[in-house]
Amino acid sequence: MRAIRLTAITVLALTAVTVLGAHYLAPAGYEQQFREMPQAAPSAHHPLGTDELGRDRWARLLYGMRVSLTLAPLAALFTTVLAGLVGGIAGYFGGWTERCCKLLIDLFLSVPWLFLLITVRAVLPLNVSPEASVTVTFALLGLLGWAASARVICAGAKDLMKSEFVWMARASGFSGLKLVRLHLMPNLRGALLAQFWISIPVFIITEANLGALGLGVAEPLPSLGSLLRELQDSVMVRPEPWRLLPLTVLIVVISSFQVLLNKQEIRI
Amino acid sequence: MLRFWTGAVLRLVLVMLMASFAGAMLMRIAPGFSSDDQELNPGLSSQSIQAIRRARLADSDIPHFYAQYIASLVRGDLGTSRSLNQPVKELLRERLPTTLMNLAFALAVGWLLGLALAIGTQTWHIPALSFCANGLSGTFISTPAAALALVFLLLRWPPAFAAALLVFPKIYRYAQNLLQQSSEMPHVLTARAKGAGPWRVLAWHVAPIAFPQIIALLGVSISIGIGVLLPIEVVSDVAGIGQLAWQAAQARDLPLLVNLTMVVTLVTVCATLISDAAQRGFKRSVA
Repeated sequence: MRAIRLTAITVLALTAVTVLGAHYLAPAGYEQQFREMPQAAPSAHHPLGTDELGRDRWARLLYGMRVSLTLAPLAALFTTVLAGLVGGIAGYFGGWTERCCKLLIDLFLSVPWLFLLITVRAVLPLNVSPEASVTVTFALLGLLGWAASARVICAGAKDLMKSEFVWMARASGFSGLKLVRLHLMPNLRGALLAQFWISIPVFIITEANLGALGLGVAEPLPSLGSLLRELQDSVMVRPEPWRLLPLTVLIVVISSFQVLLNKQEIRI
Repeated sequence: MLRFWTGAVLRLVLVMLMASFAGAMLMRIAPGFSSDDQELNPGLSSQSIQAIRRARLADSDIPHFYAQYIASLVRGDLGTSRSLNQPVKELLRERLPTTLMNLAFALAVGWLLGLALAIGTQTWHIPALSFCANGLSGTFISTPAAALALVFLLLRWPPAFAAALLVFPKIYRYAQNLLQQSSEMPHVLTARAKGAGPWRVLAWHVAPIAFPQIIALLGVSISIGIGVLLPIEVVSDVAGIGQLAWQAAQARDLPLLVNLTMVVTLVTVCATLISDAAQRGFKRSVA
């Protein structure tokens, strides 16, 4: 088990280095077209060949990883802050505030995620720039993915409010922000951190699903999800198996996250 | 029991009211709401165009629009799809059975596989079996539904099986965790020390503790199943509500999309409610 965890850490560290050094490792820009060689096979200049528009697949994979693996943690941070706020308020105040927050949480948990995402995505204007589309996609993930985490934080905050040290602090005159800052936040930090780490692979997978359906990041900007769209040309996958590399990278990265999160609470 | 059902139904009504309000607001703020294609019809007189505009203006009053929307929902009128020009109810009648059949298959196989592997790893303690089960669940939990559907399309395997393989890891991990926790309880250790066999320990000591919580997962698994079926139906070209939702999103057909989401929400909330009730019933019968 230790060897597997070590491998997972190595994979994630290597991925982080690759993502940060994409600019130096990529032979060309992600949008640069080699018009004279569309659909080229792998070569020394283009390690994974080129796509139907003559763009270097290796460069697109590196920049796609950069987009997905940088923005998913940001979305996870946003969702954790939201979950901390809603769950924390519900657990701290209790009573009607808690009931109202739980109703909101129930609402978000009842609607299948992908339905909610594509519904909200469909409301947005069609003529958004690639940069805006990537921001909107990950902002939506962060905005809509907080409910499960909020329930965990609410339960944690509620337990803390019943604990003896909080009673003692209250009896000593601590209340409001001081109580939250000195007693609740330090004790909820572990749960918040766990929710942050759990959200990252969930968001990468959801973006991949959206991208594969053509509802994610707009061209020419690549993401791990939008790169999966190339697999839809199923006839070409057998003769060109290197097209499967983005999917393999995605599975390896998410599996590494899962191995490290294995001991954490499993969120459904 | 009456108190439980009253509370549950009240929660269901409140969640659906909130969902319908959000849906109505989305339709109201969507680009193009205030314009109507009919205004471009050269055959219409200026009075007719004015009448259409007046009707649209009345809809811009949000409380009025929401009240009308709720009234039509209560009547069972789910509106008409703009892109397909067909009543949403009719579209649902055509597509829902396919999705429900695939969902039932995915849940049955996913649960069977998940529970069987969780019980197997917990009962026999064979390292190879645990390694294989963890590896399998780890792989499928890390695979996007759309990508797995593409692989299944290449291999010409049934798409519902892809959905089953994506539901299975959640069931396996949750059930395995619960069984593990339950089997470490003092009374289970005592039973084992007294010589009870693994199946007897499972049936008489572990299952009564773990099963109520596993049953609670039933409702959630329906939501997971519907979520994974959407990309699978799109990629595999299965004429279900997932594919319909994707077509509606591509055509920006918001009335269809919002009503589909409402129906799916209703199904999920009802399933959760039933699994909660089953959990309570199971707990009572064990007590």
